Amino acid sequence: MATHALAPATTAYRPGLYEWLTTTDHKKIGIMYVINSFLFFLIGGFFALGVRAELAQPGLQIFTDEHVYNEFFSIHATVMIFLFIIPILAGLGNYIVPLMIGAPDMAFPRVNALSFWMLPLAGLLLLSGFLTQGGAAASGWTSYPPLSEVGPTKSPGPGEDLWIVAIVLIGTSSILGGINFLVTIFKMRAPGMTLFRMPIMVWTMLVTSVLVVMATPVITSALVMLFIDRNYGGHFFDPFGGGNAVLYQNIFWFYSHPAVYVMVLPAMGIVSEVLPVFSRKPLFGYKAFIFATAGIGALGFSVWAHHMFTTGSVFLPFFSLMTFLIAVPTGVKMFNWVATIFRGKLSFSTPFIFAIGFLTMFLIGGINGAFSAAVPVDFALHDTYFVVAHLHYVLFGGSVFGVFAGLYYWFPKMSGRMLDETLGKVHFVLMFVGFNLTFFPMHMLGLQGMPRRIADYASNAGWNDWNLLASIGGFIIGISILPFIWNVFISLRNGKVAGDDPWEGNTLEWATSSPPPPYNFDRLPEIRSERPVFDARHGRLTPHDEMGPA
Amino acid sequence: MSSTPRKRLAPEAILAAVVVILLAVLVPLVVYSGAGSSLFPPTAVTTQAKGTRGLYDIVFALAIAIFVAVEGVIIWSVIRYRRRPGDNELPPQTHGNNLIEIVWTLIPTVIVLYLFAISWNTLNTVDAVSSSPDMRVHAVAAQFQWKFEYLDNNGKVIATQTEPDAAKGGGLAVPVGKNVLVTLDSPDVIHAFYVPKFLFKRDVVPGQTNRFQFTVDATEATDGHPNVFGGQCAELCGTGHRTMLFNVIAMSPGDFDTWLQALIAKNNATPPPAPSGAPAFALTAHNVAFDKTSLDVQAGQPFVIDFKNTDAGTPHDVDIRQSDKTTVVQDQPVTEGGAESTYSYNALQPGTYVFICSIHPTLMSGTLTVH
Repeated sequence: MATHALAPATTAYRPGLYEWLTTTDHKKIGIMYVINSFLFFLIGGFFALGVRAELAQPGLQIFTDEHVYNEFFSIHATVMIFLFIIPILAGLGNYIVPLMIGAPDMAFPRVNALSFWMLPLAGLLLLSGFLTQGGAAASGWTSYPPLSEVGPTKSPGPGEDLWIVAIVLIGTSSILGGINFLVTIFKMRAPGMTLFRMPIMVWTMLVTSVLVVMATPVITSALVMLFIDRNYGGHFFDPFGGGNAVLYQNIFWFYSHPAVYVMVLPAMGIVSEVLPVFSRKPLFGYKAFIFATAGIGALGFSVWAHHMFTTGSVFLPFFSLMTFLIAVPTGVKMFNWVATIFRGKLSFSTPFIFAIGFLTMFLIGGINGAFSAAVPVDFALHDTYFVVAHLHYVLFGGSVFGVFAGLYYWFPKMSGRMLDETLGKVHFVLMFVGFNLTFFPMHMLGLQGMPRRIADYASNAGWNDWNLLASIGGFIIGISILPFIWNVFISLRNGKVAGDDPWEGNTLEWATSSPPPPYNFDRLPEIRSERPVFDARHGRLTPHDEMGPA
Repeated sequence: MSSTPRKRLAPEAILAAVVVILLAVLVPLVVYSGAGSSLFPPTAVTTQAKGTRGLYDIVFALAIAIFVAVEGVIIWSVIRYRRRPGDNELPPQTHGNNLIEIVWTLIPTVIVLYLFAISWNTLNTVDAVSSSPDMRVHAVAAQFQWKFEYLDNNGKVIATQTEPDAAKGGGLAVPVGKNVLVTLDSPDVIHAFYVPKFLFKRDVVPGQTNRFQFTVDATEATDGHPNVFGGQCAELCGTGHRTMLFNVIAMSPGDFDTWLQALIAKNNATPPPAPSGAPAFALTAHNVAFDKTSLDVQAGQPFVIDFKNTDAGTPHDVDIRQSDKTTVVQDQPVTEGGAESTYSYNALQPGTYVFICSIHPTLMSGTLTVH
């Protein structure tokens, strides 16, 4: 297998579509991950706009059948988490990790293709719930039993079963991908690429993969039990049949809290690549950053019950302490990023602007999370819109801004063309403004007592203005995607030719052509630090290296 | 700064300093003036909530300080350190500094340990349950209705409130200044008891009796002047989740005693007899469905429905609404699971209506034709 993997493209010529459908090239698979995830981003966004349209004013305007509203927010979150953020980061990692460590491909190219192809299948299964009697899953993306069990007022239809099957498939894809990343990172690094010379992006993918491999089987067990409860008369989570409803929450969050780091760590990795390049400085505190990443990964397994403070069955002081403590490594990262841009020479290209967007917004997502670590304050805020604000500042203000930083940063490498800077900045401004208009008012709504997951509210509750503002912001976010799509479309046709290294990058992907050949590298520069291409360009650490980028 | 003292300050530095100072002044100013009041929880009305509010204020102050400090450095850097066109020189290649790393690991550690200590301390007040409360209430949350039972010291039910809405003459009344122990149960799915002005919620988990205690401040109500607080289910419990509203009514102890006696009397009263000669229809609820999909009645004549609810633990009722299913024509009280009621209805104009369970409107409705 290993020798075959070294030269996958030496086989006979295959026409375009057939080549894409059968490829085992990590770059093509990575790009397909990105495209597939982006399509689901649009689908998930459609559901979000449905929710915001309904909540813009009191009264039921769109969802006369409120069950459909419950389907919308449930599928919105499921799609965004499981079919957009997690896979698009896995896809960017898929594209970039072998390049960054000087490898010709992932360790198991066919397994890699399998991991990808499970995703569109799972997505279609999930969405097909809308075609079934009773509609798609409607018990939230958390799918807590007993609501997700079978019953006339619970979840009677097959939509819930399709949800379970889809998440199990996506989990299997994640586990296969995680193992593939681990083997690739440990066994396929180029000579000289020691662990402490790996780019931070690779480190974050490494820790992410450990989390995925350790946590995903656990949620799979909960889903299988729920499936047995629903279809074969089990009572795992049925309190009136000897089961325990809160047990599901413990198992679910044992995966789903680490999953938050699966959704955030690679975005942190992207930002840690982008900030140094556009500041023309090395990342401040490279090793501290690695230890912080590992620390988040380890602590991430001891905070799950902070999602369950109000259940009355959690040992509160322990989970409160651990939740507070996990803020420390996250804070260390924030300080290191800020120290990286401090006294740099900053170029405001689109990737950098999105990375700054990440810093400013993820900071808010970190700070407003600390409120819920204080258990009594969580009693006030839990399951209100304050939590919705918090999670979107982390997953949108953090992860999504990080994803776009990565897309603008690596698009030239993937396509050989530059994206248009003006359209990129229009995209950023619209998205940044829309994002804050949408999600900042949710803090106020939550504090004033608006619970999550309600289709309607009383017109005298005092929530009208903030909701209207949030809905306007939501549609601005929707509009902000249009310049991005247009940008990709025109740049692929007429964009400026990128060249090997348009940003004066630091890491190995910039030492090969854009797009790279199927086997990735003709020659590799000498690797003596975490910035081999910088060293080759400036000759500081490797004065005798003869290889420089074109 | 690396620049020599003689060098003139760069214009970017002046601009950056102005912006950062503005941020540092304006953010606290806006937040702590009236304009920022929506960034704080509503006025706390219980002893426990006042503790939570004190904790919130400390967390909030630290949050604002950290926000201003970090965003300030980001904004400073973004404005101050732009790369000028044609500048190809590299800035100093600082790789890090171990002392700084230790300092900015320790400072947040101290802050979060402090926050943990004060929140644990507050938790011990907020979550405390006394063994001899002044009053006991058993709250039952079912899809999609609240029921409150007033208990004596032995846990025996002395009065039951099935109407959670104060506007309809119901609600959970409590005396101010007395500590109230609430036990929570659910016969179906998970719900949550949430009163924003209590700054508190607790899940209602089937198969597990949760409890908490609260004391409404003595100043919240005086004789003849009760105070109504809104509450609502906070845990997604199905299609009727948002309709699970309730009110807590704070009363002076004297008013409360009168109110409770009235509730006991109402519980004991026999329902008014059906007008003699009115036609009667039998209707049964089973597995959250009516056994009939249509009823025909005469116009201009009162009628009666003998309603039987066979769903243990699940309350139902039979209201009459316009055919849009939302406009209420005649409202009836809830019938508990396993109970029977005789509902009397006033005469109707000819037309098509629906009879509907207000708790399960999507699952339980039928056509009522008036000839």
